[in-house]
Amino acid sequence: MSELSSLQKQHAPTITDAGKVDSVLRELRKIVGESNCTASKHIRYAYSYDLSFVKPKLPDYVVMTETVEQVQELLRFANKEKIPIVPYTAGTNIGGLTIPERGGILLDLKKMNNIVAIDPESHVAVIEPGVSHAKFADALYKHKLRFGWPVGPPSASVLACAISHGIGGLNAKYGLNSQEITSMEVVLPTGELVRVGSCAIRNDAWHSCLPLPQLDGLFKGWLGSSGVVTKIGISVHPIPPLLKVFTVSCENVEDMYSYMLNLSNYEMCDDLTAVSWWLAQVPIPYPFKPKPNDAPEWFSFATTTSWTEKEREARTEIWEKVFEEEQEKGTSIKQTVYPEEALRGRTQLPSQVVGSTKNYCKQGGAGISWPGTFTPAKVWAPVYNKWKDILIAHNLSPSVRMSMYRGVHYGMLRAMIPFNKQSDEETENARHAIVECLKVDLDAGGIPYKPPIDFANEIIKRADPGYLELLRRMKKFLDPNDIMNPGKLGI
Amino acid sequence: MDWKIAELKELEDKIWRCTACGTCKTAYDYGPPPTFGEICPAGTEFGFEGFMASKGKIAFARGILSGELPWDDELLEAIYKCTICAGCQNQCQLDHKPYIPEIIEAMRRKAVAEGAGPMPLHKNLLQSMKNYNNPYQGPRRVRTDWTRPFKKAGKPIKDLNKEPAPVLFFVGCTGAFNTAARAVPTATASIFQKLGMDFGILGENEICCGSTAMRVGDSEEFKRVATKNLETFKWLHDERGVKTIISSCAGCYRAIKKDYSLSSEYDKVMEGIEVIHTADYLNRLYKEGKLKFEGELHWKVTYHDPCHTGRHLNKFIIDEEGKQLWKGAYVDVDQSECLYEQPRDLLKAIPGVELVEMKRNRANSFCCGGGGGVMTGFGEWAAKNASLRIQEGEDTGAERMVSICPFCHFNLNEGAKRIGSQVKVHDLTELIDQVLVGRSDD
Repeated sequence: MSELSSLQKQHAPTITDAGKVDSVLRELRKIVGESNCTASKHIRYAYSYDLSFVKPKLPDYVVMTETVEQVQELLRFANKEKIPIVPYTAGTNIGGLTIPERGGILLDLKKMNNIVAIDPESHVAVIEPGVSHAKFADALYKHKLRFGWPVGPPSASVLACAISHGIGGLNAKYGLNSQEITSMEVVLPTGELVRVGSCAIRNDAWHSCLPLPQLDGLFKGWLGSSGVVTKIGISVHPIPPLLKVFTVSCENVEDMYSYMLNLSNYEMCDDLTAVSWWLAQVPIPYPFKPKPNDAPEWFSFATTTSWTEKEREARTEIWEKVFEEEQEKGTSIKQTVYPEEALRGRTQLPSQVVGSTKNYCKQGGAGISWPGTFTPAKVWAPVYNKWKDILIAHNLSPSVRMSMYRGVHYGMLRAMIPFNKQSDEETENARHAIVECLKVDLDAGGIPYKPPIDFANEIIKRADPGYLELLRRMKKFLDPNDIMNPGKLGI
Repeated sequence: MDWKIAELKELEDKIWRCTACGTCKTAYDYGPPPTFGEICPAGTEFGFEGFMASKGKIAFARGILSGELPWDDELLEAIYKCTICAGCQNQCQLDHKPYIPEIIEAMRRKAVAEGAGPMPLHKNLLQSMKNYNNPYQGPRRVRTDWTRPFKKAGKPIKDLNKEPAPVLFFVGCTGAFNTAARAVPTATASIFQKLGMDFGILGENEICCGSTAMRVGDSEEFKRVATKNLETFKWLHDERGVKTIISSCAGCYRAIKKDYSLSSEYDKVMEGIEVIHTADYLNRLYKEGKLKFEGELHWKVTYHDPCHTGRHLNKFIIDEEGKQLWKGAYVDVDQSECLYEQPRDLLKAIPGVELVEMKRNRANSFCCGGGGGVMTGFGEWAAKNASLRIQEGEDTGAERMVSICPFCHFNLNEGAKRIGSQVKVHDLTELIDQVLVGRSDD
């Protein structure tokens, strides 16, 4: 594929003068040492693409920092020279979020991978950006603690997922992973080191962002455009010994929504998720294939954990009540056996099955992207039905997931869309379909998370001018020279 | 003799099956309890994504194929800074999984074919193979030096060039020429003699199995020696009655068992010949009650799984025709030929030995760091990586690390020296030889 070459010719990197390149590299070497920075093309190339439909683009340099002081020094230098900085941990997002829009320095944080502390009494851990889900799971289990593991690869970054409003397997109980952040240490684009939350008041207190003004919001959901988060405190939770997963199927999305709404009122699930037939397949069919007539269109798994048998029985009693109520309503709900591998992949997290994208894009061939949104639950059904039409019209599977977040008012609605990345045409087809779906969702009140630029542009089109002005002012205040992941917010 | 060795271009479709998800980057198992470990030696050492696991190597392969990454010294070095240990392959779940080591070697083959590769030190090694039929620049005569003590003791080892025997002990170049690893063939032959086995060696006429040439991308040199060896095996079978080839070298074993099967003649040539690693062979005898141990070894040991006798022997189930899933789908992995339990069973059988496991073991074993031409091309890094493995062994409280590969044996020793570790490295045959009761002792 020569796409990258032609693209780079059209959009020349920020730094083109050879002498300048050398002087930049010399400075970078002073900051992080020779083995931790490079301008070699083959190394930059490996950072130029990800799983998504976002077109590949090269950074001009790649730098690995090992200490907070190095991050500070690097940002001071980049700010002075006005060189873009793209923070990177594992590159596992599916929105092209670490593909540089304007070249510059790709800051790979994987070497900052210490679990600084786990406080099993306070249920708080302090971690650096390079800590993977696999490493964190291993360490937490020794204290019989858990976290809301997402369905990402085990090598993905806990911190990056959390500050980007990532989701996890405890969403129904505790909300988004970003809501679990209890404190932050951040290097500002201008190089100053700041702390927000309790650790700003006492160095070793990482337990809460509240009741202080929530300045952590300056660094969550900004897609790495407001600073480099070098540590977070994060809530962790005990592992109840008893697991019970309730699985049902419905013939249509309306019936499934009715069940989820009913069950979520009891707020007893760790995770309450439904997936369409296409997403329940391992892998998702690519291109689209019709669902067998005798197969239900929706499956749900409701994950519950209990400390005692009696507690589990009580949860079961509630679930049975909900199930009967839904039957009495005349919905198509049935108890069902969820496809075994898919269930394992979604309840035994972190997972190589789902995390490896085995079920997401195995059949498609290299590509996966999404309309991933937070959408009011009450519009899930109409949005899904429109998405289904759009996706099938593009010969793509409507592989959709709906998950309740802490309460019933909104939740995650997304479609995981595999495509053949080897083909420009098929990639573009997927991009078109996904953006179309996103527009439908935005118009129904949903908001995309971890959005690629195509999505950011759609958000901006619809955004309140006051909001946009505030966003621009905050960005300017934090990052006066617009060096942090420039172009990603669409402003 | 035709060989089916893929060019990089032929693997392009597989290369595009990688999503760059990065699951390959860490060894992980859900458990419970969940386990995590770094799995990629190059990623651990160099850090940049291009070096990291199969995700990084696939990026190089894509760039090389598209022409976006033309050969230069740095790219060349990067594709050789990989031990091809297949640790990343063990994590991957996608359709290119079965081909990951093949893709890495195909990049090297392309580099060699286009005159860019291999690395300068590899060129010396390959020249030595052409000149001496071994990668150590060892004169042919030296190949039998290790047998002298047997001769001296009045127990000479049979020369299959002259006499028949049902078993060929394929010694391998490392055991024969690398003095630090000579304990391996010595202990193996001693065990075979104690067991009263009728076996022989090819002596000065043994030639390299070709594994190293294959790993560094010189498929022509590999084919030369492999063809010659296959012809020899056929002759040994027809003329000397050889029915079993036993090797104590993981590299030779893997090459003969797996790499040679890429030959169109393999099944025909090897008909009636079984290829088996010494550890597997001895474990078989042990299960049959034919090994008797005397005395005790009060050693706390840990076992290091060589890549060549572990993951490299995976058999991948692929839906070639698309009857089960779709064309080319990776379906499952069959680990039944991986020698994970055999050496452990033997260790546990030795009176007094206490076996403790390192965190990364069996399919998730951390490579010693010497494979894929790294020990030759980047010796300092190979030893550094081995020291990480030695440290992992030391952390278990073990005093000794046991393995079944003379290459690992040598490199792990270098690693132990590098960090001044007290952990002693042994080949499994050395332990067995110490406690095995000979037939004449019955």
